[in-house]
Amino acid sequence: MSHDEWLDRADLYALGALDGEELGRFEDHLDSGCEECGRQLRETREVLLQVPRSLSPLAPSPDVKRRLMARVAREAADSTPRAALARRRLSWARVGLAASVLLLIGLVGFAAWDDWNLRNQLRDLDAEAVMLRSQLVQRKDIIRYLDDPEVAIIPLAGLGPSPGASGRVLWLQSDRSGYLLSRGLPPAPAGHKYAVWAIAASGPVPAGLFTHEEVRRARLRLPASPTPPEGPFRQFAVTLEPTPGGPRPTGPQHLLGSLASAAPARSLTGHEERRAKSPPPKLQKVLEAGMAANAPDNPLPPG
Amino acid sequence: MHTHRSEDPADWIAAVAVGDRSALERLYDRYSPLVYSLAMRILGIRADAEDVVQEVFLQVWRRAETYRPDRGSPECWIVTIARNMALARIRAENTMKKGIGFLRERSGTTVAEPVAGAVVRAESALAVRSALARLPDEQRRALELAYFDGLTQSEIAARLGEPLGTVKTRIRLGMERLKRLLGGGEAPEGLP
Repeated sequence: MSHDEWLDRADLYALGALDGEELGRFEDHLDSGCEECGRQLRETREVLLQVPRSLSPLAPSPDVKRRLMARVAREAADSTPRAALARRRLSWARVGLAASVLLLIGLVGFAAWDDWNLRNQLRDLDAEAVMLRSQLVQRKDIIRYLDDPEVAIIPLAGLGPSPGASGRVLWLQSDRSGYLLSRGLPPAPAGHKYAVWAIAASGPVPAGLFTHEEVRRARLRLPASPTPPEGPFRQFAVTLEPTPGGPRPTGPQHLLGSLASAAPARSLTGHEERRAKSPPPKLQKVLEAGMAANAPDNPLPPG
Repeated sequence: MHTHRSEDPADWIAAVAVGDRSALERLYDRYSPLVYSLAMRILGIRADAEDVVQEVFLQVWRRAETYRPDRGSPECWIVTIARNMALARIRAENTMKKGIGFLRERSGTTVAEPVAGAVVRAESALAVRSALARLPDEQRRALELAYFDGLTQSEIAARLGEPLGTVKTRIRLGMERLKRLLGGGEAPEGLP
């Protein structure tokens, strides 16, 4: 910006007409010590001073001067050594004044507090709206999965550490994505999270690490299929892992379930040849054992 | 009011600062008509304008020691207080900001230079009126809205239904012209 533009603003500023962002910027400019603008400002003010001179002169009533001088006399008396005496005489007036001032301070303070409070409420509501919106999006997404005939629903049962827990996985194999819905899992100890595993013949693949809150409705998504592709995923498990988790499960298993348990005959018979060397049957046993509440800590097949 | 014309009102303010009530009376006699007519122009109600007159000179009494001759003439100081007080009455919301903006002593040593050459004295009301009358209507209107109604540039633009840039230009041209006509300041050179 050329300096002439600052000088133009000095005129507007002297008039009190500068506003918005320009006002702040001009004041910063003045505060930076621009003598030219300071001079321009004073000159403009002196010229503006003449504007009221263009008005037809009017005289206030003589009463005004009398009242003024009486008040000034009182204030002068107040500031003399005999002020203490005068102050006592004026005590009620002073009490009234003090009360007004306190009231004003109170009102201003209240307004500020109220403003602050309202702002906080607004912020809370904003945050809540954001949260509700994301929950709504998530629930719609879950419904979309439930509606999709391609989506498999795998019930999960609680194992040793969480016999009362249960859950289900909604799994869309073609998209390698889904949801884990769970309930009854205990809060994870510090430094731990729940890890979800999608288990294929080749072993478990991490499908996400979640807090105790998140694991109630957790979006699962596996990275794009590697070559050769794993899967299909017929088992899902939830273990408790120290963060940040690893490529293989190491902690106790809390939930486990398999497609086999939902539709054992068809799903397992279709993969007879794999069954012989793959973990599913073993997992199925583990699941049964787990439900009998004596599952080993880490029954998942080693990677 | 005429008996003290030879004295410097800045000295009267200095006297007020040490508690000289007769100096306050002299200031009142000299400037109260100006303050009152300005307050009347802004407020339009006699009782309100008289209240402003009293408040202005009460401020002069209480704050005389804050007056700095190098920041402007006594008249400038008093008129500025008066305008701010009158505008405060009609625009309670923006009073504080504007009043502080106007009355605030700009910090430090940045503007310590005297403005003797720029101080315009003893312009007759006629001269000022004729200078204002010679402004194009739209420039005068924009200046009046800013000065007497206390509107900001955006508010003037909204009031007149004109673009902000137009309003700025009118105010700028109006101020330049006023400065030239009243000889109060050197109009910045090199402006279009």
